[in-house]
Formats: sequence, structure tokens, C-alpha cells
Amino acid sequence: MKVEIVLTRDGDQQVVSYDYQRREPKERPMVLDVLLQAQATTIPDLAFRYGCRARNCGVCTIDINGKPRIACRARAREGDRLEPVSTLPVLGDLVVRRDGVARQLRGRLPVAAQGNDLNVEAPQAYHELTACIECYACLTGCPMHARNGENADPGAGYEFGNPFSLLKLQRARLDPLGSSQSREQALKSAVELGLSSCVDCPGCKCGVGIDLKNLVVSELLTAAGDRLPEPSDLSEETA
Amino acid sequence: MSVEVEWRDYDVVVVGSGGAGSIAARAAAEDGASVLVVSKDPIACSDTKISEGIATVRESGSGDDSEETLSENLRIAGGDLPAQEVTDAFASDSKTAYDTVRQYGLRPEIDADRQGPQSLPLPLGGHTRRRSVGHINSGIAFGHANWQAVVGEARIDYLEDAWFLDLAETNGVVSGGLIYDAARGVLVAVRAPSVVIAAGGLSTLFFPKTDTMRGNTGDSYAIAARAGADLVDMEQIQFLPFCLASPPSYEGLLCGEPVMASFLGVLRDNNGKVILDGVYLRTRAECSSAIMRAVEDGRGSPNGGAFLDMTANKTPPKSGPYFMKFVETVLPSAFRNARQALGKEAATCEIPWEVRPAAHYHMGGIRTDEHCASIGGNDGATMEGVTGLFAAGQAMGGVFGANRLGSTSLTEGAVFGIRSGQAAARHARSKSVADDEVLNGLIERTQARFGQKGDRSATQIKMELQKACWDLIGPVRTAERLDEIDSKLDGWAEELDRVVIPTYGTWNQAFLEYEELRNMLDTARAVAAAARERDGSLGGHVRLDKSEISAFSWPYSTMVRRGDNGQMTARRIERPRTPLRQLISYKLKEAWRKAQVKMLHLMPAEMQDRKLEARYKAIMGAGDKAPEVYPGSPDAAIADGKQA
Repeated sequence: MKVEIVLTRDGDQQVVSYDYQRREPKERPMVLDVLLQAQATTIPDLAFRYGCRARNCGVCTIDINGKPRIACRARAREGDRLEPVSTLPVLGDLVVRRDGVARQLRGRLPVAAQGNDLNVEAPQAYHELTACIECYACLTGCPMHARNGENADPGAGYEFGNPFSLLKLQRARLDPLGSSQSREQALKSAVELGLSSCVDCPGCKCGVGIDLKNLVVSELLTAAGDRLPEPSDLSEETA
Repeated sequence: MSVEVEWRDYDVVVVGSGGAGSIAARAAAEDGASVLVVSKDPIACSDTKISEGIATVRESGSGDDSEETLSENLRIAGGDLPAQEVTDAFASDSKTAYDTVRQYGLRPEIDADRQGPQSLPLPLGGHTRRRSVGHINSGIAFGHANWQAVVGEARIDYLEDAWFLDLAETNGVVSGGLIYDAARGVLVAVRAPSVVIAAGGLSTLFFPKTDTMRGNTGDSYAIAARAGADLVDMEQIQFLPFCLASPPSYEGLLCGEPVMASFLGVLRDNNGKVILDGVYLRTRAECSSAIMRAVEDGRGSPNGGAFLDMTANKTPPKSGPYFMKFVETVLPSAFRNARQALGKEAATCEIPWEVRPAAHYHMGGIRTDEHCASIGGNDGATMEGVTGLFAAGQAMGGVFGANRLGSTSLTEGAVFGIRSGQAAARHARSKSVADDEVLNGLIERTQARFGQKGDRSATQIKMELQKACWDLIGPVRTAERLDEIDSKLDGWAEELDRVVIPTYGTWNQAFLEYEELRNMLDTARAVAAAARERDGSLGGHVRLDKSEISAFSWPYSTMVRRGDNGQMTARRIERPRTPLRQLISYKLKEAWRKAQVKMLHLMPAEMQDRKLEARYKAIMGAGDKAPEVYPGSPDAAIADGKQA
């Protein structure tokens, strides 16, 4: 089975072809198997992330034929094109720099109020959002994340948000141990990170099937109400 | 041009950002220390995140639980190898440490009567009280809390995609360390009086025969050993016997536990001959060793394992349907792996499953006191170890000895995360003088690796090493194999200088592979040295050429230290033994269980079927659902509750 892998070394990009050798006659390998075999044979220092091989750790996301997929649970097909996700800067081969996403939330996440009774159950939606494995597939197609442009510095934390950061903020709003102040802070952060981009967006796509549109985006938009900048302000801002 | 160097100063450096490192960093920051977290994987993407998410919380399930009982449970399960100060610390802090993780957003179900986290309905094996708390979203819920502990605290600096390479150490005192920040392509030289190592375990030595995270390349142990620290019980690796051997994408993932085999499940070799019966009452080590002995003998399955045959459970008309419900519900995530990997016929137990052991957890590690500070010394006289070095989580040894109780590792991360963070912050207040000369030496050596010429690839040596580790220091060992691994390790150590490494700084994969290989080599050497010193089978250590170490003999822990020549020397430390009366009671319970299996097999088929139906009903209650068992817990292999 032949696939194409887009390699980047020291800033230079090249596309190489790799011919996967099936280890069992009827094997239907995952894309991660293809990468591991390529690394073990003809591309010794092929760089890619992986962790648990069971879709739990969230680090092996790459673009397969232009769409973000979790490599350990995506079946490989003849002619697949494997490349780093298009939404984050490439560090080497299939590895992208991820930390700009989490860094934008520094100082924005409320701390559970001290001295609260811890023995309070969280609502179902809180747990539904906790299912997020942080695979960052949701960055693809996100107009808010796109506003960061290609030259943004991840080390400083991205200026504009994405479905993942909104999920974290909405989760904080659902936390029964939060205070009205912390909920307000989370909402304010969502607006600052560019929630207005969500107004006319058809919705985002989660790598593990969380209903981001209804559980996160709609909730935040409703809560923010008229605090969102008018469309005219927005066009000035991005101009 | 050589890779650039950036200098920084901190009170505390924490290596790792999983269940232990994240909590350690937060604890140190809250004590007022300036903290740097160094994580090679994204923050909190660790074994904790991919775990079953069950934690030990003292007193969560019953009013008669106590620190003494929990501490004793740990020591008895661990074959008397754990240090009492350490198990006492675990028992004393297990509640408060869990509450700390809750401060970062972990939200369990609440037991309204007890006003605390809801514990599972039964005590997990080896625990004599109900005290294990499960969580929606399993380990991922802990992953979010660990992430919050680091990212949510602005006083903590962190680097991800950054490899901590070596400690700067002079005459037994730590003064910082050197980091390769792959994302920015620079070396970071850190001056710091305290370093907490919480960089996980060593299961990647056996890849792909493991169900854990890729990053477990033994970094914790190798970094500590190179600075002269004592490592304890390094031979004690927990292998789960029933993991998948194929298809390749699923290799190593958990598919069952002894208890899942139920009353009539057996293990068979490639010829269909029974190699182990009464599987559900066997220890994991017994199952692993039966499988590996068949493999040794040339009777292994096509992928180097054996067959777990549960078909006999299914055929009886009355009890069969109950068995199917039992097998589907007792370990849901393992069953899901089996169904996806082995197909429908296997999932309905119409055909046997091909199974093979896989590495899961390392019980040994860096030898520390109850405040996670490195210690040394011999019998009866512990001494300070490497000053300024602390360890927590899987990196730390002495908590579990020869066997780990179910649901304890997540609690271990939190308990010793907090303790190590606080101790590291405290130590940093009595600042020692930084030694830039040592750091400069490390920088020079590391810079010289970039651009190294040669004819070897570290990736390929890694794979050769992984195969050899499985064969020679894996689930079964012999003196001959230990000699063989040592000579192979010598060979690969020499080849390190022949690994090709390009010159560029940003994400230099060849350099990363080289560094991880270096750690794997040192760690494998430590395991081999301890395995030689432990000259009989005990817990996670199975010697084919020696007998079982009796529970009635005097227990000892193995200690390993690295010499200047890179070789590891092992010695023993005596441990106090559990009183004889308790040991005898364990032995009697074990004998009684085995006698019951014999009686069951002697019954006529119809009677057996009725008897089994009644037993399934009793286990599953009205809900037609088996109580879930935690993978890796002694409950998963009931007989693991015994004294080793």
C-alpha cells in the first residue's frame, strides 16, 4: 500500500512516497502503523507524535488527505496523503507546535473558590465536555483560530481562541464549585478571544464527537448576548 | 553553528507533567517557589490520562477504614518490600491529596450519605475496605485536572516538547540541569537547587508489548542513576498477562484479566493442550509465566503467546448466557479492545483468544524517603542520597514493592506529587551555590552531539533493544539471559557514538531518539542488575531457573547504583516481615480457593451448570451486570491478594 508523506526538516519540505508492507495478509493498518513502519525502515528519523495507540491521549492528530484525523484509529488507504495539521506551525515532519493554544488560557481560567464544599456533583454537560482529549482536530475550519494568521507567536499564547479554548471556558462556567465571579470571568475571556467569530459560523467539528456547537458555542453566545461586538466593529478589527 | 543556549534560574524544576509532576509543580508554586515544568509530551498527556481513572480514597466506602489498615494492605500486597514510612505517608494523605485534585476540577459522583466521593461497590482485591473511586471519562478526567494544575497557575513556567537531559550534580548535590527545548531548537541550562523527577516509567523498553504511553523510556531512572542516586526494586515490573498479540495495530492493548476467564476458562498452547486451568483464580504472574513457558518450549501461538479459551463457559444451557453477560461487563474497555481486534466470533467466545503479556507499570524506582527526597545507605541506616533530588509517581520506588494494589497509582501521583513539590520548595529555601562549571560541561557534550557522524540510527537500535528486553528481561528471566542482555547493552552503549545526528536545532528527531535510547540503555541495565540480585521469583519478577521465594523467608529489597564506569551494582536491604499469623491465614485462604476449583471440575455436567448459574446470579445481582473490575488490580486476578 503506497502513501505520500510530507516531510519537513530544518525548514525544507519534501514529499516522499512510502510503500507499506502488510504484516498479515488481511491486515487493515491504521495510519500510525504506517508511520511506525516507515520510521523503522526507510525513513529512520521520521518525526511524528503518538502516545497510547488507543485514542485516549490526543497527541497523534495529523491531516490525512487534508482532514484532521487521530492517526492511531484512522485506517490507512492506498494513495493517502499524510501531512501535519494545517492549523498549527510545523516543527518537523508531522509534528506541529501545539502549546500556543493552551498558553492563551493562562490567567483566564478561574480557580475553584477556596473553602467550598467539594461534595457537589457536576451537571451532565460538565462531564460531556470533560470527554475532550485535546486532539485539536477542532481547529480546522475554525474562523476564530484563523484570525491569528500564520505569523502569530505560539510562545506568547494565541490572541484568538478556538473550539478547545471555548470548551475549557464553558466547562469552567458549568463547574458547580465556581463562583458567579469566575463564571463571569470565563465569559469575558470567551468574548476577548473572539467569540463574535462564532455568530455566523455553521459550527465546529470535534475529533471525538462532542457536540461543540450546542454544548459550547450556543451556550456562550446566548450568555454573551449583546456584549459581542457588532459585525461592523468586527470588520474594522480584522481589517 | 552550534545549538544556542539559554540560561535560567528557578527554585524548583519539575520533570514531567502527568499525575505526579503537575501536582508537584502546583504544590511547589503554592509554597512560594519559582517553578519550571519540563515535559516532553504536551502538558498532562501521560499514563494518568489514559488510565482507567480509579483512585484510592481512604474512608470513601466505609467508616471503619483507617490509615493503619490502608498502609498494611499496601505492604502485604507488596510482599513486605515497601518501606513503612512511605506506605504510611500514602495512607495518611490519600484523602487530602484527592481533594487537592478536586480543587483542579475533578468531579466525582457524590455519596449523599457519606458526604464524600462515591466509592465502587466492592473492595478491589488486596484492599480490605471499599475505598476505590471511579470517574466519568476515566483517566481523561484526571488529565484535565492535571492540565489545570499547571496551565491554570500563572506562577508556573512550563516548556512542553522539551527533554530534560541530565542533572547538574557535584559531590552528591544537585544544582540544576540541562534541557533540550525541541520546539524552539535551543538548550536551556537551568540553575535550580531542587529538581523533582516525575517522568514516568519504563514500559517502552518492551514496545509494542505494552499498553502505556510511548514516552515511558525510563527517563526518570536513567537521569537519577547518572547523578548517583539509589534505585530500588528495579526488577519489579508489572506485566498484564492477557493483552492482544494481533492485529498489529492493537498489539499490547489489554483484552482481559484472569478473573474474566471465569469458572471454566483455560489457557491452551498452540496444539490445543491445556497449559493452565482454574485461570480465574491465578495470579497475573502465574498466567504470564504459563504463557511464556509454552512459548519457550516452541508451543506458543503464532504471535508468541497462547490461547485464552473461554468457550466451555458458554456452552452450558443454564449458566452460559450468564457468562456472556459477565464477560461483556466485567472489564468493559478490555472487552471492547478484544471485540475490535479479534472480531465477532471471539467476542461471542465461540473461539479462543490469542493473548500475550504486556508491560503496564513499574513498581520499582528512585529510592526516596516519605518526603520524596533521594536517600541512600544500607540496612538500618539510611543516609541522605543525592541532595536536591526528589521523585514522585512511577519514577519513585518503595511504595508498592512486588505488587501494586488496584486503583493506587493515581493516588500515588497526587500524594507524592504534593509531598515532593513541598519538600522541593522547602529545600530550595536553603539555597546552595549554583555550579555553572558542571552545566557548561553538559552543554559542551550535548552541543557536540549535534552533527555527529556515523552509520547507525538510534531508532533502529531502540527497536533491537526493545526486542531484546522482551526476550531477556521481560515477563520471564534466567541467569543466562541476564548475562546476554548485559553484553548486548555494552555493545549498544558503544554504538551511541556512531549514531547519525544532523546539525539543526528545531525538532531534531535523531537527537531525541539518541537521548531516549541513552535512557533506555541505562534503565535496562538497572533492571538486569536487580533481576540478578533477586535470585528467585517474586511478584512481578519471574525466574525460570529459580524457585519461588517463600513468603516465610526474610524479605529484602534490591538496590542498584550506577558506577563511574556506567555499570550498575546491586545490593540488598532487609525489610521487616509481616507477622507469621497473618501469613498463615493468607496461605490457608489460597489453598481453600484452589480446592474449590477441583471440586467444581469433578461434578457431573448438569449439576455443574446449575451450580454455576447460582454463582453468576450471586455475582451479578438483579442488574444482570458484573461488578466492574479494575485492570491490573489484584481483584482482576483474585489470587494476587496472597502474600507473595
